[in-house]
Amino acid sequence: MLPPATPDWARYVRERLPLSRLQPEREAEIVEELAGQLEQAYAEALGRGLTSEQAEAAARRHISDWASFAAEVSRSERGRESALAGIQHRAEDRDVARRGRFFFWTTLGQDLLYAVRILSKSPGFTAAAVLTMALGIGANTAIFSLIDAVLLRSLPVRNSQELVLLHWSARKEPRTYNSSGYGDCEIRFTGLEAHGCNFSKPFIEQVRAQTAVFSGVAAFASAGQLNLSGSGPARLARGQYVSGDYFPALGLRPAAGRLLAPSDDSPSAPEVAVLSYGYWQSEFGGEPGVIGRSIHLQGFPFTVVGVAEASFSNLTPGNSFDLWVPMAVRPKLEKGWTPASENAGSWWVVALARLKTGVSRSQAEAAVRRVFYNQMLHGDKPLFEARDAPALQLLPANTGLTGVRRKLSAPLYVLMLAVGIVLLIACANVAGLMLARAAGRQKEIAVRLALGASRGRIVRQLLTESLAISTAGGALGIAMAIWSARGLLQLLATIMDRPTGFSANLDPRVLAFTLAASIVTGILFGLVPAISSLRLDLTPALKDGAKRTPRGDRPRGWFNSGSVLVVAQVALTVVMLVGAGLLVRTLESLKRVDPGFETGNVLTFRVDPTLTGYKGEQIGALFRELRERFGAVPGVTSASYSMVPLLSGILRSTGFRLHGLSTEKESDADSLPVGPGFFDTMRMPMVAGRDFRPAEFEATGSKPGSRCSRASDARAPVAAIVNESFVRAYFPGQNPMGQRFGGGEDPDAGPDACPDAGWEIVGVVHDARYRSLHEEIHPTIYEPSGEGGSFELRTASDPRAVIASVRDVIKRTGFDLPIYEIKTQLQQIEDQLFQERLLASLSSLFGVLALLLACIGLYGLLSFEVAGRTREIGIRMALGARAADVHRQIVVRGIAITVAGVALGIAGALGLTRYLGSMLFGVKPGDPLTLAAVSALLLLVAFGASYGPARRATHVDPLVALRYE
Amino acid sequence: MFNREMKKGSAEFLVLSLLEARPRHGYDLGKLIEARSKGRIQFRIGSLYPILCRLEDRGLIAGRWVERAGERRRRYYRLTPAGRKFLASQRTTWGEFVLTINRIVRSGNA
Repeated sequence: MLPPATPDWARYVRERLPLSRLQPEREAEIVEELAGQLEQAYAEALGRGLTSEQAEAAARRHISDWASFAAEVSRSERGRESALAGIQHRAEDRDVARRGRFFFWTTLGQDLLYAVRILSKSPGFTAAAVLTMALGIGANTAIFSLIDAVLLRSLPVRNSQELVLLHWSARKEPRTYNSSGYGDCEIRFTGLEAHGCNFSKPFIEQVRAQTAVFSGVAAFASAGQLNLSGSGPARLARGQYVSGDYFPALGLRPAAGRLLAPSDDSPSAPEVAVLSYGYWQSEFGGEPGVIGRSIHLQGFPFTVVGVAEASFSNLTPGNSFDLWVPMAVRPKLEKGWTPASENAGSWWVVALARLKTGVSRSQAEAAVRRVFYNQMLHGDKPLFEARDAPALQLLPANTGLTGVRRKLSAPLYVLMLAVGIVLLIACANVAGLMLARAAGRQKEIAVRLALGASRGRIVRQLLTESLAISTAGGALGIAMAIWSARGLLQLLATIMDRPTGFSANLDPRVLAFTLAASIVTGILFGLVPAISSLRLDLTPALKDGAKRTPRGDRPRGWFNSGSVLVVAQVALTVVMLVGAGLLVRTLESLKRVDPGFETGNVLTFRVDPTLTGYKGEQIGALFRELRERFGAVPGVTSASYSMVPLLSGILRSTGFRLHGLSTEKESDADSLPVGPGFFDTMRMPMVAGRDFRPAEFEATGSKPGSRCSRASDARAPVAAIVNESFVRAYFPGQNPMGQRFGGGEDPDAGPDACPDAGWEIVGVVHDARYRSLHEEIHPTIYEPSGEGGSFELRTASDPRAVIASVRDVIKRTGFDLPIYEIKTQLQQIEDQLFQERLLASLSSLFGVLALLLACIGLYGLLSFEVAGRTREIGIRMALGARAADVHRQIVVRGIAITVAGVALGIAGALGLTRYLGSMLFGVKPGDPLTLAAVSALLLLVAFGASYGPARRATHVDPLVALRYE
Repeated sequence: MFNREMKKGSAEFLVLSLLEARPRHGYDLGKLIEARSKGRIQFRIGSLYPILCRLEDRGLIAGRWVERAGERRRRYYRLTPAGRKFLASQRTTWGEFVLTINRIVRSGNA
């Protein structure tokens, strides 16, 4: 006889015990324990000799009233839960109570130590996270240190906040005899407004007399390139004319010798010069003996009296100087300087004034404003009328002197935005890594919670870990940043062809920025995993068989934290790549622009014979001779010269009156004086008419561009070759040949000016770009010139091969003639495209970085999900799912996440790239081709990133998978 | 036989006392009380189990699953340090209670 079947006591209990609101795990335990006891009672009854029915009945009698039993158990279970909570609250209260400084710091130390220990246990993860953050923070620090150097740093002088820049504005430009600025601030003359920071010398003297509000006035003006000789071979030095009180007013100290004093700034004083520290170091080896030595500037002897302090090389960003000389020597050094250049009508002086202690900027402004207004309206020669509303402003010197800031600020801010996006992607990426890691650490966290750690403490611990990662990344990033920022500045200096005076240093502002970036990013990417750890369920997490994914982050959820992070990364990457794509296409369209002449195999360089004392007719003779000799150099097929090289950013323009039009109305055109054979050398095709004749070059005078030199020529118009745009604009539908324009009386010309006979068109040349590739082609006049500023040599092969021969030719003239800005025409163009190249290459670099990070993010997420779903995939495959289905499912998920990111990203890109507008050329912000290309690229990359995890999923062995966990 | 209320009042004390020597499982505790009281005090599973739950909740005892070869696993309870302290105080209280009751009852008889 078979032994009687033991009743299923577990089922018996489960069917009768109406426990509610208990966690299923606890309920299972209770059921198991009760079933065990009932089974024991049953076995015992059987042992006493009862039949199985009797034994079962005896066991059942142990619990007769299930309802009240359940109520009692539930009551104590609820007590257990609230007791647990109570213990936690008490622990937290204790935490709060103890949160004295000491407690905080010691536990922080513990957290830090623990963080370092736990991070060093997973070196792969730590290295990946730290490197990612280093890339993100490093790129940001690099660009920020440039912004700091170019835009934020204050003037390197004593108490720069006390200095004000004199600045004027009016409704129209002043009737000045001469106005020049040197890029210290923006000078603008438009029909509606005019402003600038250049003044006449007499006016600055009047400002200097305002001793009630100013304690000093530092006036200055660029002296340009000065020919320096008497100390080794001739070379060019960038000089600046400064007032005698320039150095005292700025509060600068000498590094050696003495600085200029007011007594030096007088025509009768001996000529002295002060060197900049950098120039002293590079050209004189920092030798103290240079003090008191004589050097020659433009052939005149000067005594070096001192060296300025090391930190000072310039006031205006980007305008740095090698030496300073007193303003009083300007008439001596400059050929065309006349007494008129020093009168109230000649505006060329820039000035900073130092406010007296206790005087506010507005008080000082009120004082000088009146002086300016009176001078402008009631001076010896009034320059404005009352309706022009001339006014003077005092601007803070730190921001008023803009220099190259204006040019660089837009690209720098664009780059800052780009690296900001890269940093966000890096954060999302590391957050994803941390999330995946947190899932594997649930048990550890649960154990710590069970041992009484407060959740606040756990969050702090996790945040300490992420902060440790971001700080390490920041430290590494600083090293990368300084290195790359220096490289960028060097690039900038090379292209600007002069030292910029900017230095990317770790000043407190940059350090503060990096620290802030590290902390913010650490919190940013640490928060998601920390918060998800708060939602942890203790009991299942403590069990061995627990699923290794956080609750709420089940891998099957379409919008879990991990996928949201990847969607964000993809979206940001799209924004980044669309921006980079637009900038690259801008560069491409600029490169495709037809300049109108052949740019290959042309060498350009500049010479200025006036620097070595050539005068009058000598200059023309020198240019003729040089042109012939250059033409004879082996490898040179033809040589010519022009006032300025083409596509160098320099433009000359001229105004003229068209015959038959009202004399009030002036037309204007760009103008370029050129030498013989210019069109041939540049390969600019003639469309009609003829080239200049040799005699037409002879007819031009010694003054470049002058159209009247000899009385006999006074009545003959100057031969002009114009471009097609000129004909279209001024002689539409007519035969331009022989047409005359310009000429007539010039009301502003002095009594010694000869009457102007205007121009006569002798030829028409194909349209060519003049100043830059960006600009529309304007009507242009080419006129014959006996001299130039820049030579152009067409060569048979690489133009750089003839540079040595060119130097040789110059040396054989026997004069110490400096030759500078030696560039091929292609280099000239490349330099022109500096901003575009910088933006295109850096944004592409950041774009690729973003793409790489997003790709890693997607790959990581899918791999993690596949790992978490091994069991499920195993079951599905055991139930007959085909590998292809599993594969497709994973890839589809990757693509779906990417599509969501791309859609978001395109919306963001449409919004953000509008701000690129002014930097784009030949492409519109919402360019569909760029959007499509970026989307396609992202999808392709997503496909690639999904492929690996999908393949891994298809290799899941159902048997292994089912045993797993 | 003792009534329900008396049993209920003393149950916690009895369980704690029995766990003092060594850990025991729930059914074992019931059997032990029955044996030691020579059957005069009996606890069914239905009344003992909630007491165990309550004691565990209060941190006086702690349960632990123990597996033995060939047997269904059982939950063994042991006294926690807090339970030991509580038992000591209970012992004094019960001793004094019994003494006091006796004193009252005897003087009533006299």
